[in-house]
Amino acid sequence: MFYRQAGIRHRSYVSDSKLFPIPTDRNLIWFLVLLGIIAPLVVDSLYLNSYVLPWLIWTAAALGLNLVTGWAGQLHLGYAAIMAVGAYSAVHAARFGVPWEFALLIAGVSAAAIGTVFSFAAMRVKGLYLALTTLAMQFVMDWVLSHVPAVTGGSHASLQSPTFKLLGQPITSDAGLYYVAFGWCVIVTIFILNMRRTGLGRALVAVREKDYAAAILGVNSFYYKIVAFATSSFIAGISGALLVATFFFLATPEQFSVNVSIQVLAMVIVGGLASIIGSYFGVALILLMPGITNSLFSAFADYLGLQLNPETLAHIPTAVYGALIIIFLMVEPLGLGKIYNNIRDYFLVWPFDQMKK
Amino acid sequence: MGNNITTSPVASLDQTPLAGKTLSQLLMRNATEHGAEIAMREKDRGIWQEMTWAEYAEEVIKCAAGLDALGVGEGRAMLVLGDNRIRLYGGLTAAAMVRGFAMPTYSGATLAELKHFADEAPMAAALAEDQEHVDKVMELRAAGCDIPYVIYDEERGLNDYQAPGLLSWTELLQKGEENLAQNPDLRNRLIHQSTPDDPAVFLHSSGTTGNPKGIVLSQRNVISAAWSAREGGSYGEKEEILAYLPMAWVGDYALTVAAAITYRFTVNVPERQETVLRDLREIAPTYYLAAPRSWDNILTTIQVGIENSTRLKQWLYHFFMNKAVAAERRKLERKNAGSFEWLWRRLGEWTVFGPIKDQFGLNRVVHAFTGGEAMGEDTFVFYRALGIKLRQLYGQTENSAFNAIQSADEVQLHTVGRPLPGVTINIADDGEILIKASSVFAGYFNNPAATAEAIKDGWLHSGDAGYLEEDGHLVVLGRVSEVVRTAAGERFVPNYIENRLKFSPYIRDAAVVGANRDELVAMVCIDFEAVGHWAEVNGVPYMSYADLSQRKEVAAILKEAFIRVNAALPETLKLYRFVSLHKEFDPDDGEITRTRKLRRKVVEERYAPVITALYDGSSEVHMTAIVTYETGETSSVERTLLVWEV
Repeated sequence: MFYRQAGIRHRSYVSDSKLFPIPTDRNLIWFLVLLGIIAPLVVDSLYLNSYVLPWLIWTAAALGLNLVTGWAGQLHLGYAAIMAVGAYSAVHAARFGVPWEFALLIAGVSAAAIGTVFSFAAMRVKGLYLALTTLAMQFVMDWVLSHVPAVTGGSHASLQSPTFKLLGQPITSDAGLYYVAFGWCVIVTIFILNMRRTGLGRALVAVREKDYAAAILGVNSFYYKIVAFATSSFIAGISGALLVATFFFLATPEQFSVNVSIQVLAMVIVGGLASIIGSYFGVALILLMPGITNSLFSAFADYLGLQLNPETLAHIPTAVYGALIIIFLMVEPLGLGKIYNNIRDYFLVWPFDQMKK
Repeated sequence: MGNNITTSPVASLDQTPLAGKTLSQLLMRNATEHGAEIAMREKDRGIWQEMTWAEYAEEVIKCAAGLDALGVGEGRAMLVLGDNRIRLYGGLTAAAMVRGFAMPTYSGATLAELKHFADEAPMAAALAEDQEHVDKVMELRAAGCDIPYVIYDEERGLNDYQAPGLLSWTELLQKGEENLAQNPDLRNRLIHQSTPDDPAVFLHSSGTTGNPKGIVLSQRNVISAAWSAREGGSYGEKEEILAYLPMAWVGDYALTVAAAITYRFTVNVPERQETVLRDLREIAPTYYLAAPRSWDNILTTIQVGIENSTRLKQWLYHFFMNKAVAAERRKLERKNAGSFEWLWRRLGEWTVFGPIKDQFGLNRVVHAFTGGEAMGEDTFVFYRALGIKLRQLYGQTENSAFNAIQSADEVQLHTVGRPLPGVTINIADDGEILIKASSVFAGYFNNPAATAEAIKDGWLHSGDAGYLEEDGHLVVLGRVSEVVRTAAGERFVPNYIENRLKFSPYIRDAAVVGANRDELVAMVCIDFEAVGHWAEVNGVPYMSYADLSQRKEVAAILKEAFIRVNAALPETLKLYRFVSLHKEFDPDDGEITRTRKLRRKVVEERYAPVITALYDGSSEVHMTAIVTYETGETSSVERTLLVWEV
């Protein structure tokens, strides 16, 4: 009904490999970008900076994890640790007087360096073993953060982030911080969108499907695993740094503890492995749902005039949120991205039920 | 001359700027005045390769110069074999440039058919699409045809071929370039040497009653037909068209060469015959001509698709489609469409019709045509309801495809519309349709006897029976030669009844028998796809076409179709019995022509035992049929066929 495809023809292979060949998709993307740009004008700044901003940064981070887990197929349970590396290096660099642009770059590079260490584990082990190895590295990182005061200032200390500046301009307004997050998320999305259709993206998928089959095809799986870990860590590092610079304003060890790692992995899995739109949905569900169910539930309770003890009020939304994740994954094991695609397909072949032969 | 009604306004090609023009001059006009516009698109490995008028004209001139070097010229012919390709179209125009006969053939033609073509005129060369068609030329040579040169388009598989006079398209163009370099005046000569009376193309009659007869259409004929069709509102300038019809069919030539050059169409050539439907969607043409059978096929695909769709989509489809069909029928009966029609139309267009048209690439079609034979009312109304202004056109090879068309908003089921400007139509005393126009050919090639029969006093005797209505609309009943009488003396046209039978989606072909008999009977071939799908849905097991055709459940649905047709026939012309044949009619077996017209004599001879059984009251008949494969080998198929009472 909405997707009109007649008359779409390609006169070159470049045009044939367009990201969005269907005008409807293109229009939708432009609409969303426009919405992102005018968001500060229409969204209340409280919501903008406490919901939309972290959603965008976490989406960028989740896309980074999706790169290594979804596309390259390597389980990664130490992603928060990598983000921590980026966050602390950036804050230290900024405190040292390095301009934020370079501090962010340092965050990315140092995170990529540490992240690459993870990839050496991936060369030896796969699947659950890799999960355990990366988890172990996460614990090592946790220990380092809480026991090396030179880095964090101690387990209970927090490190103040200097005022965020870009090109010498301090960015303190709500809208300004939002645009930084929005810009970063857009950059990462464009990168991943394009990565899918390059040799790198295809090689990663080949490694994911079967690394020795990929090797037979001439794809050096070791090399591509390192590239996947390094690239994903680079994104993690900058996302971690931006999270501290624009949202938390100070860095503490528990921001990047093991449960955060698991949470990011949950975002990726609920959203859908190797799905970009899914990452947006997954982050929204994991990050925003608890707050939304909470307020919905208390409003509902107020409306009915229920007198519930605070214990119940705190736990029922959490249970609902857990149930939601289970329901979504049972309806579509491939994640929210797949649900979106199912809906899109439904309209794509409208009014038929499948592509005609 | 009988009831002499001249319907067309006085108009003729001679009063227009097109007077005295040839295709090569028009092609050069396009190249100089509109050189940057797209003339041709051809899909190659998924990518549409474009060619502007300037490039195309240059390619044609080089090709013509090459053909000139090879000795193609006045009085000599070039055989063109293959499916639609830009280069084959270019070859057609180039051959006309050097005043030779371009003779396109059906790509599925058998060796005997090709030999008949090749023996008609002295062959100077053959232009073949690929290895398969080069092989055919080699076979023709082996069979004794003298074809000095073979030019091929697609070189795959031809590396090791060692045959005299075999050269690729590129080599031909090189020869052409050399020829042009050596003779500085050649370019000018190529553009201006041909006259309107020189041949444009060498086509053939369909040959329902014998061997196909050669028909040479002059440049004046085809340009005049293109002009008439445009004046009559068949198309405008710069239409987008898909070149998918067989190149040997006059409709294809008239559109993709004559009209395309005259009115600067963009011709889109699909990648392969199998990808036509997908390429149709990518092109979304503005002009679409298809045989009633193709329209039926698309309709069947839509209906099967909807049957397999989800409940909501089905419900929406039926809701809007029923409303639109009802409104369309009211319009056909010249009644008011209904007060809320516009609302349902809008909503339906948005939710159902638009998406369906989009799926098939028909959303940009302004001019949709069906021609060649009658179209079923249900199909016709369906497409009108869908919002495609489908129209019928009437024409023959002998007069370059365009005689009469319906206008978009004035459609009646039983007529084919008004005669086109420049075309005068009369009705002879015996009911035969007579045509006078500058698009009418000069005569059958080397066949004065047939020519004398077809053209008398400048009137083309079309061989079709029909009449003109008072409002000037032409009604075509069928072939004059096919009008037969039952034993009781009742006149009827078997083809008319067959077409009505074929309106059933389950019947692909039919042959009605009854000349000089007391009752009418029929032999039908089921439509394997539609009946096969029906069998799947209804749990009827079957192994093959032959097996499916004899199932009693299938006979039951065929019987319904017969009852429906009988209801519209006079008492004396009702069908009494039928046999569902165990194989489809096939052009390779000579039972139908390449354009799927019934060869009645062949069928009646071959199925004589079946016809006997239909009349002697037996309930079954043992039948042996000869099947000819594409390789030319034959084998026989034996089967016991059941006779069913309607």
